[in-house]
Amino acid sequence: MVESAKPVPPIWCPGCGDFGVLAALKKAALEMKLPPHELVLVGGIGCSGSIHNFLEVNGIHALHGRLLAQAVGVKLANPGLTVVAAGGDGDGYAIGMGHFIHAFKKNASIIYIAMNNETYGLTKGQPSPTSQIGFEGNIERPFDAILTALSIPAPNLIARTFSGDPKAMIAVLGEALRYTREGRGFAFIEDLSPCVTYNDTYKLWREKVLDVSKVDGYDPTDRKAMFRICLETMDSGRIPIGVMHRPKQAAREGLETKLLGEAVGPARCALELEPNLPAYQKLLASLA
Amino acid sequence: MTTPAAKTTPLAGESGPSASRTPPPLTDVSVMIGGQGGDGTLTVSDLLGRYFRKRGLYVYTSRNVLSRIRGGHADASVRASRDPTAAVKPTVDVLVAFDQEAITIGHTELAPHGYILYDSTAFKSDLPNATGFPFATLVGGVLGQPIFKNTAAYGALSVVFGFDPAETRSVIEERFKRRGGEALEKNLKALEIGRKAALEVPGLADRYSVADGDAHDYVMTTGNQAVALGFVVGGGRFFAGYPITPATEIMEYLQRYLPPLHGVVRQAEDELAAVNMIIGAAYAGARVMTSTSGPGLSLMTEGIGHAGTAELPIVVADCARVGPSTGQPTRHEQSDLSHLANLGHGEYPRFILAPGTPVDCFEMTVQALNLAERWRLPVILLLDQALCQNTTTSPRFDLGRVQVNRGERLTGEAVAQLQQYKAYRFTDSGVSPYAPPGTPGVWAEITGNEHDEWGHVSVNPVNRVRMMKKRLEKMVKARDELPGAHFFGPADAKVGLIGYGSTYGPILEAQQILAARGKPTRFLQARTLYPVPTQEIDPFLKSVDVAYIIEHNYTGQFARLLRETMPWHYPKLRSILKYDGSTFRAPQIIAEIPEVA
Repeated sequence: MVESAKPVPPIWCPGCGDFGVLAALKKAALEMKLPPHELVLVGGIGCSGSIHNFLEVNGIHALHGRLLAQAVGVKLANPGLTVVAAGGDGDGYAIGMGHFIHAFKKNASIIYIAMNNETYGLTKGQPSPTSQIGFEGNIERPFDAILTALSIPAPNLIARTFSGDPKAMIAVLGEALRYTREGRGFAFIEDLSPCVTYNDTYKLWREKVLDVSKVDGYDPTDRKAMFRICLETMDSGRIPIGVMHRPKQAAREGLETKLLGEAVGPARCALELEPNLPAYQKLLASLA
Repeated sequence: MTTPAAKTTPLAGESGPSASRTPPPLTDVSVMIGGQGGDGTLTVSDLLGRYFRKRGLYVYTSRNVLSRIRGGHADASVRASRDPTAAVKPTVDVLVAFDQEAITIGHTELAPHGYILYDSTAFKSDLPNATGFPFATLVGGVLGQPIFKNTAAYGALSVVFGFDPAETRSVIEERFKRRGGEALEKNLKALEIGRKAALEVPGLADRYSVADGDAHDYVMTTGNQAVALGFVVGGGRFFAGYPITPATEIMEYLQRYLPPLHGVVRQAEDELAAVNMIIGAAYAGARVMTSTSGPGLSLMTEGIGHAGTAELPIVVADCARVGPSTGQPTRHEQSDLSHLANLGHGEYPRFILAPGTPVDCFEMTVQALNLAERWRLPVILLLDQALCQNTTTSPRFDLGRVQVNRGERLTGEAVAQLQQYKAYRFTDSGVSPYAPPGTPGVWAEITGNEHDEWGHVSVNPVNRVRMMKKRLEKMVKARDELPGAHFFGPADAKVGLIGYGSTYGPILEAQQILAARGKPTRFLQARTLYPVPTQEIDPFLKSVDVAYIIEHNYTGQFARLLRETMPWHYPKLRSILKYDGSTFRAPQIIAEIPEVA
């Protein structure tokens, strides 16, 4: 057995919500018997983005906000890999917002876990795009990733989980892993992951979260219904959690399939001159 | 058909037009076509280029367009020569004007014997040596659409130059056969309308003749197309980009070339995404490239630095245009070099290669891919607008010169022989053998943070120093593998000329003009710009009394790099600079060299 990079101890504060994601991801991957060499974890910048250091898998630490672009690049180059991007709300919803929106539209079969703690923890507690009005002097309205995700009409899996409910999180992650491994498209999970040091919301969120599957009219294949349920839940002062969208058809809608079909992808196809010579000769002969 | 509002005047220095007198054939001719965007000026230059190619001439076409889809003045020029050429001819022999501005601009460059054909539907000109044809009215009257006036102008030109009628026609057939049917038929009619109108003007026919050439086994191509082809044959299979002038054609060509080879081309949401997508794909083990221009390069700077420290092999083609900011999107400049040499915060290795011809573009894109993977770092292909977009008659690209060298890439079998797999293992070369994710039995951490051999984040000062040396010394260790300069002219010449990119063409032409005057010069075409190839430039500078560094920017960016790396040559170095958005004409270079002027 060749020795590979070993996990290092997490840098997170004791009690950090990100531990919940780490544990759930490990459990879901183990349940699926995913070999570590086939799993790629793409981390963003911030506390949560260091998650790839703490598991025995391939990890790439992307630039701040750019993890989704890198994750899509990995998947399109080698569709055989299982790709999970993970970062925080500042990473994904502030500096990475352009890539975030386009990830739904691209619909590559990757998982994106945004660990939302409503603050920039690593730089010591500044307001983030999801911070409530009043938090550290924040006067801007908070951004809602689920409503944004629902507004993009693409065959994505969309869910919100809470680190205080690991069982539900393992179930959602398991579904997301199956969803992406079947090539169905992009799976977005926002995890409510409290920052125990700068914005300890465990107690508040435990009181506020509402499992939308228990709401009348819940139907994750009906975007309109889910948009309404989310808005009504939020209007009542609660935070909707659960699976928010799941396409009706179980089709291989992933971008990698649309581009490559059954081909192995740019990272694994034959690049050498010899096997491609006839195609190259034809290409060059087309010059007038 | 009405007789065109003709106004003919004799050729300068001649007694008058005479059908019996045949002027000596031109061996180097240029035609400039100007008009409003949408007038089809590029089509006329394309048709002329095709005709001249049929006659075995070397053809170089250039364009001067505004950054808008329609309207505004735009001009195109075509040069045809018996000798190889990759530069705009200093003077215009025949000017075709669809608007007044074309005359205002083109008249200043008109040769003493030059002639103007203009569309008298649009305006009237009192200039001597000008004949007006109501092209738009003539064509519109017959075909109902004035847009075919450009083809009519080509017809008139074919008369002025005494083109073979059958071949003139076959050019139209080849150009429009793909659109077929009505388009072809109407263009053929427009051609005949233009020919007939010109033939009716006394003395216009056969006013010039152009000597045939023997450049037959050549192709017409652009730097952008050559880069795209080089990428494909070099094993490039993943490209992401964002539309930007003058780089977009690289992406467009690859959208055609790559999918049949199971490659992937993506138009990203911005340049940040484009560079990060190729970084992700490079990490996964693909051969990758993006292309951009100044504004996009500014955005990609973040990602290129990341690739530099994470040691991921990426190729970035920078198709330079006038900067900074939005600058002049369609115009020519070479002002990105200082930025590229110092690209990004912190320090990391990078190679900057500068092709000068389409063959260079083709072969050096392959080299860039090899160097990136072999040394695991970002490689920049520095191009410029003229090289990217002007069409040149080029030797055919040679697959025999293509080699795919993937560096030290570990397969599953090779990995199984290891005790440990460390993605950043210290080695003598500084290059760590790489096993992409998915290689059975191993996994790794890749990061833009400073890291140890395992890829774990590290602030250990001893490790930091070793890692910095590991990465940055690649620029010294790789030196002999980087593309070498090309030298032209006698080795004992005492006046040196140094250039890179598309200045290759005008500098070579200036050198040939000077040689004919008995003034020898030696020209070094630099093809690696960074790390500065002092091993080849230092002996060159020693061999000359003075060296002119010829580049398209205000501050003499390459000259500054040479002064910085070889301060002992400081007194010998002079700059010839142009930053008005257009390319050098050979006489402009000569005029700046007092030793030979």
